[in-house]
Amino acid sequence: MRRTLRTPITTRVVLLSATASVLVGTVLVVLIVAVTGQRDAARSAFRSQEALTAGNQLEKSLITIENGLRGFVASGSRSRERFLQPATRALAAYPRDLRRLEGLVADDPGQQERVDRIAVAIDDYVRLWARPLIELGKTRPAAARSVVVTNGGRERLDEINRQFGSLFARERQVIRSREDRAEQRSARAIAFGVGGLVLVLVLTVAVTMYLRRAVVRPVVTVAEATGRLASGELSARVPIERHDELGDLARGFNAMADSLEQNRAELERSNAELLRSNAELDQFASVTSHDLQAPLTTISMYAELIERRHAADLNGGIALVDGIRTATQEARTLIRDLLEYSRAGRRPLTLEEVPAGELVGRALEALAGPVAAAQAQVTVDALPVVTADRASVTRVFQNLVGNAVKFTADRPPEVAIGAERDGRMWRFWVRDNGIGMDPADAERIFVPFKRLHGEEAYPGTGIGLAICERIVTQHGGRIWVTSTPGAGSEFSFTLPAAEA
Amino acid sequence: MRRALVGVLLALALAIGGCGGGDGGSGDATTSSTSGDAAAGPPLRMGTKNFPEAVLLGELYSQALRAKGVRVVLKPNIGSSEIIHEALTGGALDIYPEYIGVLLSEVANDRSRPGDPRAAYRAAKAFEERNGFTLLGMTPFSDSNALAVTPEFAREHDLRTIADLRRVPGTVRIGAPPEFATRFEGLVGLRQRYGLRNVHTTALAIGRQYAALDAGRVDAAAVFTTDGQLSRKRYVLLEDPRGVFAAQHVAPVVSRAALRAHGPQLTQVADAVSRRLTAPAMRRMNAALVLEGREPRAVADEFLRQAKLK
Repeated sequence: MRRTLRTPITTRVVLLSATASVLVGTVLVVLIVAVTGQRDAARSAFRSQEALTAGNQLEKSLITIENGLRGFVASGSRSRERFLQPATRALAAYPRDLRRLEGLVADDPGQQERVDRIAVAIDDYVRLWARPLIELGKTRPAAARSVVVTNGGRERLDEINRQFGSLFARERQVIRSREDRAEQRSARAIAFGVGGLVLVLVLTVAVTMYLRRAVVRPVVTVAEATGRLASGELSARVPIERHDELGDLARGFNAMADSLEQNRAELERSNAELLRSNAELDQFASVTSHDLQAPLTTISMYAELIERRHAADLNGGIALVDGIRTATQEARTLIRDLLEYSRAGRRPLTLEEVPAGELVGRALEALAGPVAAAQAQVTVDALPVVTADRASVTRVFQNLVGNAVKFTADRPPEVAIGAERDGRMWRFWVRDNGIGMDPADAERIFVPFKRLHGEEAYPGTGIGLAICERIVTQHGGRIWVTSTPGAGSEFSFTLPAAEA
Repeated sequence: MRRALVGVLLALALAIGGCGGGDGGSGDATTSSTSGDAAAGPPLRMGTKNFPEAVLLGELYSQALRAKGVRVVLKPNIGSSEIIHEALTGGALDIYPEYIGVLLSEVANDRSRPGDPRAAYRAAKAFEERNGFTLLGMTPFSDSNALAVTPEFAREHDLRTIADLRRVPGTVRIGAPPEFATRFEGLVGLRQRYGLRNVHTTALAIGRQYAALDAGRVDAAAVFTTDGQLSRKRYVLLEDPRGVFAAQHVAPVVSRAALRAHGPQLTQVADAVSRRLTAPAMRRMNAALVLEGREPRAVADEFLRQAKLK
């Protein structure tokens, strides 16, 4: 098939699919990036929240320390120690929170610096204020009270508080900016994703429409044309408007239709010719046999006259005249059969619904002599009503049963006639236990004048089965034989069943 | 983190040193040669009490030490003697400048009140050495406590000595730091030595008492004799014939461990600074702090440069 210069459909479909895949992939990647960003933002926001919590916890611890300290120093009673307990606990706990806070801001140098400063301030508060004051409070409560009122601790805490404030503000700013960024990114990703999906949708619709236009419609056109062609419209063609695989298909189809149409025309022509020559041949045979009848009758009449009037004159010549008579008789038989054969299949049938049993009965009446001579036993099953020409089908039964009692083996002949339904047809059979035949000869025996045996062994012109075939074929049925040499044959033929 | 802070301070000190130009050249050379050794151990943690003169003293000692390559972390404004000494003995500090009289009366609880400053110094040093600490050299100046009144108030009640306060009718309000109420060099001593019953204190942050005095919110103020405000001669200091307020020379209190760690250089530098701190010098510097509002760091830097200590 001719290669075309245009891009083949395969390539185009592959390109379209690849484009769609790349597009879908890109959308997917963008979505993944967005989701990842969102998750990172959430994680870092959570981290920042943790940092804020740790910071708040630290501030609370410091306030607990300071308040406990002041309670401890201010109260003169013996119960003052109880003020110290929460402070002592907070003193033991705060380093852990501080370390946690340091860990949480480790990714931000600016915040790390702030936390470092806060850590120094807290350390100073604890080591240079809280602990010395507790010691002082234990040994010299009055002196401790005078120290507490200077508010040194409060000032330190205020300073620490201020530093925490800037730490928190910065952390919140970081959270906000991260959230903003993540939100922006996810909004962009959603827009991108939706846009991508719309694009994919449009592309899908476009690809579908393209495939419909480029592939489905041409294929349907070719399929319709094929249907028309199959239903006998041999002029069916498809328009060729493309230069790709489908164009090739259309061209191939048209080429096939062209050659089909041409072949059909040739067949019809040769068929008509055959029919015509066959008819001529039949006509010729019919005319010839009819025309031969008269001279043969004349010959036969003259031979009889010679025998009757001049038998004495002939001496021994009477045997020769007898020979002429016999040969003439044979020739007349032959011509009669030939005439019958040429008429069979040409004469219009007189179709009627007729019980097959009646036809068989007539055939057997005609064959009463040979059947009795052969001492044959003929059994006839119940037979159906068929649509047939009485005379013709009677002739078929007569020929088949005649053959059955003629080609007998060295045992008493048995002939069975029956029928069975085969779709719209009835199959009739005539079965015998005669000599049978080689299956290789099963076809040949229906050819006119084809004989399997010599005239001496089994007399006959060899045209009986050919006549049967013509009659059955003219009825729309067919005829065949199955046989086992030496065991017998079964001749079958079909006839249309009578209309119910 | 502390290391970072030290680094910042060190860089700052070096920057300041660099600004000095040619005259600080020899000092810088020794700085770089010794800083390598000093950097090996932990830095010297120096604290100061919570008033301008104390912070100034901290700046003076620390800057001079840093100029000689000693790494110092300065923790200013810790609090009164009671608490800063507790921080020192608790191990949170290595050194801080302290007033000998206060040290004896309020920390050592020694009420013998030696009249001779040297005797006081010896007693204080002996006290510190019993606890693993010691005193470095003493300053020439003494910043004693005193009671100041306005000239008008003095005239009105004919006041010359603290004992004269007994004649003032009603209550005499003394503006003073909180610890004044519980110290011997405060209400305790005033009551014991002068039998003052009509006085009570109004707690004020150090430095605020002058304003309170000017505004008439208090009748008298507990002041220090080196206060910058006194250089303007607008106040009358009441005499203390019965010796409630002891001489208050300054000496750095230092742990023996720190002394061992930083070697003789610490003593040499601190003593060299102490020797230059005379009463006029201190009053001048205090005035610069309190009246001119200058930074202790800048004031100390200027003084050390002039004294060739930096």
